[in-house]
Amino acid sequence: MPYIEISGIKKDYGDGRGNFDLNLSIERGEVFGFVGTNGAGKTTLIRQMMGFLRPEDGSIKINGLDSWEDSAELKRYIGYVPGEIAFPDAPSGTVFLRRQAELLGLKDMSRADEIINKLQLDPTANLKRMSKGMKQKTAIVAAFMADFDILILDEPTTGLDPLMRREFVEILNEEKKKGKTIFMSSHMFEEVEHTCDKVALIKEGRIIAVKDTLEIRHNTKKVYKIEFSSAEDYKLFITEAFDFSEQREDYQQVIVKINDTDINRFFSVLKNYHMKFLTEIKYSLEQYFKNLYSLTGENQGGKSDVL
Amino acid sequence: MFCKTIFKQTLNQNWKLWMIFTIIPTIMSMLIITVYDPKMVQGMMNMIQNVPGVGDILGDRIETMSSLLAMLGENFYMLPGYILPLIYVIMTANSLIASQVDRGSMAYILSTPIKRTKVVRTQAFYLITAIFCTFLVITTFGFVAVQAKHNALWGQAYTADVKAASTVLNFDNDTVANDLTLILNNQDAVRAGAKARGIDDDVYIVYLGLKMSAAEESAAPTEQAKEMQEKLMSGIVAAADALDMEAADLTTDMSKIKGNSHAMAAAVKASGLPQELFTAFINRQLATDEITFDKGVDFSVKGYLMINLGAFLMFFAISSISFLFSCVFNLTKNSLALGAGIPIAFFIFHLMSQFGSSLENLKYLSLNTLFAAHEIVIDGVYIPQFIALAVIGSVLYLVGIKVFKEKDLPL
Repeated sequence: MPYIEISGIKKDYGDGRGNFDLNLSIERGEVFGFVGTNGAGKTTLIRQMMGFLRPEDGSIKINGLDSWEDSAELKRYIGYVPGEIAFPDAPSGTVFLRRQAELLGLKDMSRADEIINKLQLDPTANLKRMSKGMKQKTAIVAAFMADFDILILDEPTTGLDPLMRREFVEILNEEKKKGKTIFMSSHMFEEVEHTCDKVALIKEGRIIAVKDTLEIRHNTKKVYKIEFSSAEDYKLFITEAFDFSEQREDYQQVIVKINDTDINRFFSVLKNYHMKFLTEIKYSLEQYFKNLYSLTGENQGGKSDVL
Repeated sequence: MFCKTIFKQTLNQNWKLWMIFTIIPTIMSMLIITVYDPKMVQGMMNMIQNVPGVGDILGDRIETMSSLLAMLGENFYMLPGYILPLIYVIMTANSLIASQVDRGSMAYILSTPIKRTKVVRTQAFYLITAIFCTFLVITTFGFVAVQAKHNALWGQAYTADVKAASTVLNFDNDTVANDLTLILNNQDAVRAGAKARGIDDDVYIVYLGLKMSAAEESAAPTEQAKEMQEKLMSGIVAAADALDMEAADLTTDMSKIKGNSHAMAAAVKASGLPQELFTAFINRQLATDEITFDKGVDFSVKGYLMINLGAFLMFFAISSISFLFSCVFNLTKNSLALGAGIPIAFFIFHLMSQFGSSLENLKYLSLNTLFAAHEIVIDGVYIPQFIALAVIGSVLYLVGIKVFKEKDLPL
């Protein structure tokens, strides 16, 4: 049985907002990314997982417990970073973290201190006057300090600068190594592509696709773009036996799909040509989903430029 | 049942506001108790009673309107003692639930293994405890003020004059209080007693006499006494003219007439009574005032406790309304619209219902009517109202807790 099982979840807010018949299963130790535009229904699902919203239909089982009925019991395993950062009244970050630890029944603050150091956070600052990034860091510390088995993170990198984002990814990787199950939402493909094992794409409250990021990172079908120095070379090259996806005569460019098994033949052929440049067009998650989007977009009447 | 950690944290965040909204009404209640002067009130009441007709209309109510308890119950607990705790209740009820949901900070409490029901129960418990403590403090310091200023709790058996006289006579207080003739028979004791009371020796002698024959005092004034009373009043009015004072002020301090021969002459002339008789009447009047003064601070501990219990129960019920809407709504503005609007409407309806008989029915639209201050003062029927307040409060708190437990939270 999957560690987190979301089956047939529904919450209809009207006007097509909310989520409709979501099904996902997440294995223990998996890092799961959840991507979608603003308003796609990411936060709604996370609130349902946290037991803040009661699903109209379907259920979410986490480690066999129901997310609504056993919500309090489940919080013994779950660390949570809310999408909207608003702290309770507390004079400083330190006081807030201490109070939060009290509520969690947590005595040992060593993990908290570790993360504080990593994120270079000064928790003694006035909580109300903290910058967005500092608040986000404080929220991250609050979620990670108890060493919970599951982490549910709603756009956890909002407000962090690129440097801190990298630190954060490092912390995530550490947690992953410890065997934690992480569920994180984001509106950035790049972020989830590099941290998550699996990524689900949500659009208008429905899951469009779930993709293993390993497949993307270890994609054997590469795409190259070549520009030739002369028109003769270009004309000659397009007669070769390769799978061309695009030919641009005006620029003397071709875009060619080469499987890794074919790479040596490809280069030996290229030796006979004069090229201006050769680049690989990276296959990314974003592209993968963009393709899917345009496909589903066509099905839905040409709404292809959502991303 | 409750979560100690949350309670402690809530207390931490709220005690300052509680202090402000408890200290101010406490001081106000102590001030009202301290400035309460039974002599002055009695004087005013005498004036009113002597206005032909009015005395009959008011009848027994005079007695209940002039007591300290009535002053507190119908003034303090209806205005400052109501509005300040109300502001506290409205602000706190909203901040305990709705504002935390609105801002999103409730997410942190609810992402801990503490059940939602336990969270909301603890917040309700905090609000009830805070209100209870407010009235506990007001009551306690009220007692302190009553004792310090009016000696109404302990030692009231021995008025100041008895104490002074017994020192002179070298008897203990008890003996003297039980046999006032001991004072009458000793010139020095009379002088000491009169001084302690702040009245003339001759008035004091009349007072002692009245006190000893208190039982035989006829209740209904005879025709003759009424006539005398009228003559006396016209004398006082004339004397007031002579002294260039308000007659009402003079009634509270009639010894002024005795001290001023000019005023006395005017009074004697106007009343048509011989001077000795007039003086005797004044003395008697002053002595009667002294007796009612003794009675005036005759302060009912039970009544005071009941008034405060009633005020607490009223706020228990009112806070349950504010708390319920704090649980129902996710937005502060909605929670306040009803959670503050309804209690304020109750207050206004209750206030308007006292303006006249045409508006009297408005009292049925207000929860505040169940506080029944007047009933407590006259020791009438108030227990059913108290029970109603307790039931309303309990039900609304329970509904609020249930609603919060079941609802969707945008956290």
